[in-house]
Formats: sequence, structure tokens, C-alpha cells
Amino acid sequence: MYRSRNRPKRGGEDEVKGPNSALTQFLREEGISAENIKQKWYQRQSKKGEDGKGGKSEKEQSTQDDDSTTQVSQKEVIEEEEVDDLELGSGSETGKAEIAYDARMNLVAADSDEEEYETNSASATPVNLSPAKNQESLIKKRQNTAKIIQNRRKKRKRAANLLDRRVNKVSSLQSLCIGKISKNISKWQKETGDSSKLVFNRLRDVLGGVSTANLNNLAKALSKNRALNDHTLQLFLKTDLTKLTFNDCSKVSFDGYKTLAIFSPHLTKLSLQMCGQLNNESLLYIAEKLPNLKALYLDGPFLINEDTWENFFAIMKDRLEEFHISNTHRFTDKSLSNLLINCGSTLASLGLSRLDSVSNYALLPQYLMNDKFHTLSIEYPLNEEYVNDEIVINILGQVGSTLRNLVLNGCVELTDSMIINGLTAFIPEKCQLEVLSLEELDQITTDSLVYFFSKVELNKLKECSFRRCLQLGDMAVIELLLNGAKDSLTSLSFNSLKELTKDAFVTLTCPDLTYIDLGFVRCVDDSIIQLLGEQNPKLSVIDVFGDNLVTENAKTRPGLTLIGRQSDSI
Amino acid sequence: MSQDPVILVSNDNKEYEIPRSAAMVSPTLKAIIEGSFKESKGRIELKEFGSHILEKVVEYLNYNYKYSGVEGDDDEDIPEFEIPTEMSLELLLAADYLNI
Repeated sequence: MYRSRNRPKRGGEDEVKGPNSALTQFLREEGISAENIKQKWYQRQSKKGEDGKGGKSEKEQSTQDDDSTTQVSQKEVIEEEEVDDLELGSGSETGKAEIAYDARMNLVAADSDEEEYETNSASATPVNLSPAKNQESLIKKRQNTAKIIQNRRKKRKRAANLLDRRVNKVSSLQSLCIGKISKNISKWQKETGDSSKLVFNRLRDVLGGVSTANLNNLAKALSKNRALNDHTLQLFLKTDLTKLTFNDCSKVSFDGYKTLAIFSPHLTKLSLQMCGQLNNESLLYIAEKLPNLKALYLDGPFLINEDTWENFFAIMKDRLEEFHISNTHRFTDKSLSNLLINCGSTLASLGLSRLDSVSNYALLPQYLMNDKFHTLSIEYPLNEEYVNDEIVINILGQVGSTLRNLVLNGCVELTDSMIINGLTAFIPEKCQLEVLSLEELDQITTDSLVYFFSKVELNKLKECSFRRCLQLGDMAVIELLLNGAKDSLTSLSFNSLKELTKDAFVTLTCPDLTYIDLGFVRCVDDSIIQLLGEQNPKLSVIDVFGDNLVTENAKTRPGLTLIGRQSDSI
Repeated sequence: MSQDPVILVSNDNKEYEIPRSAAMVSPTLKAIIEGSFKESKGRIELKEFGSHILEKVVEYLNYNYKYSGVEGDDDEDIPEFEIPTEMSLELLLAADYLNI
């Protein structure tokens, strides 16, 4: 969602929606805006003018001031209008009224100035145009500004769509409706005040018939608008949902989690991202009240302490199959060993990311005993030495034969040894890997990957990312494409592989490829973009941030979008 | 396959005629039209939806059919599809059912 920077403050903090930064909020709270600054500047200018040009005739001054004030007011009106239009929740009547009021105020101010000066100055006013002519020029001016506004709006809309990766020009009716609902949900809530329960009862009655897929879409839309809180959470209660994902729970209180646990007993998979308010009590509540829970994905549960983790894993013993955790410093080595001791034999999917109190990753290979283990994700350890070749080789020796998803982003200590003695050695020749992500491993080289790709057939590989593996060259890419992976790949990232040359892309023909990230691959130019479009029939998005050789002249077939092109900037 | 328009009937028996190709935008309607039941003759009763909802659905089907074929950079010319706020919930149900 695109939001204007200098949007004036209206309403309380409830108004904070969408991706606003803390700085924006601060500036807004303090009443600092570009508009204010501009106003001050004009005031200062006019003061200077008065001081400096004392000798100037009153008449001249009046025209000048007239111009500047009308200009200002016109600009303001334009901006206000734009803001109004861009505001997704523009349905709010009060907002509109306020804007209209502001605009009127500005115009009135300008008018009154005019009158004042006109009465001051002698009867020979410079604004001596006949009323008809005056009106005509005014209409023309209006038309011009309308055109400018429209163009600007178009540009912004296009840019916003590009950044949202909205490739389909006509969005589905479902997404339009969900957008509308999520926009208005907080408004409805506000309007009804204490009787908000009624609204939600109605919502629930109507939404009862909505498929679970759309409920999850609604959760996504609410999270995106930062509108998910204890009230809106009620939409998801008393449903038959078995899988639920909230991408932004920052406003859900610990009570909210408890009600969720009580009223959605069928949940088997729960994902709570940014769940900063999840406390010890509610986590244990979730474990107790959701008897079918098998998969838990948590991001940012920093209120949960060591003891609670211990209790939690004891409750979830032999039940937890998937556990992913990220961004908390209270998850320690002890918590990790509790997890592995209690649930190690049932775990089939494990994710550890940005855990600043975990160092003993060497525990993993001892406990991961499940012969159906399929997903391993270890990302960004606090100290790079914590995750070294030996540990990963040991883990792969344990679970490599069944692994489907492997993510080792940001484990920068890993070297070629891991690729050769780990991946190549323990992953079976006809492997099941679907996701392979080795981002930022700047020590791995082309040679080891060429060896790996030549030994192992990656017939099922769908997503592959070598983002910022800076040493990789053409041969690694070519060998990957000679591998069986060519026919199954849907998403590829070669971001920042600066050693690549045009040769790497000649053989890039993947029938199912839909997305490729070529950001900061300097050799990419218009001809490569055209070639990729022709060779990959399903390709719909190419990221080209930082590729200065990709210009507006790049020929893309219909249905293929370039994102991040320099010439597209506004 | 005939190219006759398709008639959609709401629960209060109001009829809405739309081109067959526009109805094909919805996978649900497509399956109904291409099926071997009497609906394939071109009269589909959608008794779950009131006429105000069905009217909007028809509007969307036409809108989607008209603009999704447009290629090139002129995507700015596509007008926004207006949904009245009070209708959004029920419309979501319909859209969900019709998979559009």
C-alpha cells in the first residue's frame, strides 16, 4: 500500500496503518510535516520581502502576495486531493470532511488576504481581468492541474503495483473484496465502539460460508494493513480452520492468543509472526488447549523465558512435528536441547533463525532421528563459527537422505567442504530436494557446486537461491541447468553474482520458471532480458535492481514484468 | 459450442444475461456450462445470491473479460472496480463460490 509521506495527522494512533516507519509516526506526532516547513518558509519569505522591499509600492506587493498565496493554496488542494485518493481507507467521511475543511480554510485565507490588500491598495487593482476571461483561465488551470494529478497518480499506481509484485492487471474479485473488508474493518470497529461485538457477530455470520483459504487470505490482508488485533482476531475464532497464519501479530495481546487457543481447537498448524506480546502463560495455554497442534512457527516471541520453553516442549513431547523459531534472545542452548530431547524423534521440520543465545548447534545431529525429516533451516547464527562445515556435514549425514528443503542462509563459515563432503556425499543421487537456499555463503566456489550438480540429480528442485554467493561463476549456473533441475525450477535467485557473464544465460531455458532475481548481476542487459523472456515461457517477473544496462528499451514479451529498472523510477 | 449468451438467475428470479465468454472467466460457471446437465443450455440458477450481488458479479465478469485481454503498457487505463463497502462481505462469498 502506497502512502504519501506528508500525510497530515488525523485522528489518533489508530490511524497508523500500513508500512509506516517509527520516524514517520514520530514526525506526525510532533506535527512536523513538509507542509509546515513550507508554510514557515513562505512566511519568512514574505516577511523578508516586506523588510527588504519597503520602497515597493503597495500595489505590487499585493499582487505578489496574491500569487504566492493562491499558488500555495492550489498546491495544497492538489496534495490534499491526492492524499485523499491514495488513502485506501478513503471511505472515511470524517477524513474527507476534514480535508475539504482544510482546503476551504486555505482558500478562505487566500480570499480574505485578497480583500484586505484590495481595500488597502487604491482602486486600480491589478487583477483587472474581465470575469469571463478570469473564469476561463481558471477552468484551464483546473484542467491542467487535473491532468498533472492524474498523471502523477498513474505513475504512483504503477510503481506501487510493481513493488507489490502485482503482475495480473485485473485482480480477482476475491482479493478486491478482501481488500475492501480489511480496509474497513477498523472503521466499523471504531464506529460501533462498545457494541463492536455485534459487528463481529454479523461478520462471523456472513464469513461463516467463506472458504478457509479466503479466511487465510483475509488474515494476510489484515496483517499487511497492520489491522490485526484482539478485535479482528475474533473473525478467526470458532471456525474449523486447521491451519492459520498471522503475518503480523504485533497488536495481538496475550489475552488474544488465549482466546484463539480456546476457540479454535482444531488447529494443527499455527504460525504467529512478530508475536512480541506472546507471553509465557499464553504459550503454555496454546500447548494445552490445542490438542492437535503439530506445527508451530514463531517469530519474535521474546517474552518466553527458558523455563517456559522447557515446560512447553515437555507438553509437546512426541507431538511436535514442525517447529520454526526466529528473532528471540531468550531461546537458549538449554531450550534447544529441551526441544531436541523431547521432540527430536518426531520433528520433521526444524527452523532456527537469528537466535542470538544459541551457540551449540552441534546438538542437532545427535537428536534428529525422524526418518521422515524433510526441512532444515539454519539461518544467521550470532557468530559465524557456531555453524561450521563439520556440524552441517554431520546433520546431513543424519537426515540428508530424506531432506526436501535445505536453507542455510547467512551461515558464512560454510565452505566447499560442506558442499562436497556433506551435500554431495549424503544426498542420494536421485534426490528429493525441492528448496535449496545457500544465500550469502561467500566461501563456496564454482568448482564445488559444479561437482555437486554433476553428481546429484535434482529432478524435483523448485526453488534455488545463491544470492550473494559472490564467488560463483558461469559454470555453476550452466551445470545447474544441465542438471535435471532445469525442468522443475520455478524460482531462481542469482542476486549479486558479480562474476556471471552473458554466457551463463544462454542455456537458461526452464519451462516452469516463473521468477528470477538478477539484481546486481552487472552483465545483464536488454538483450539478456529479451532472451530470457523468449526462452522461458512461464517467466512472469524478473528483478533487475542495480542492473544499469537494463534500459527502457528492453523488449519483454507480454506477461513479463521487470522490477527495479532505473528508468521506471518516479 | 454455441456462442449464445448465458443467463444467470438470482434467488428473486431476476435474470442477467452475459456473453458466454465472459461467464467463462469463472471456473465454476465454466464447469457448469461445459457439463452435461441442463444448465449447459445456458440458463444457470444461482439461488444462493440475491439480485444485487448477482448484478455486481455480472458487472465484474464483464469487467474482467474486457480488461484482462488488454496487453501492453496501457494498464493505467483500466478503471478500478468499485465495490460498495456494505456489499463486500456477501460479494466475497459469491466470488469465493464462483472462484473469481
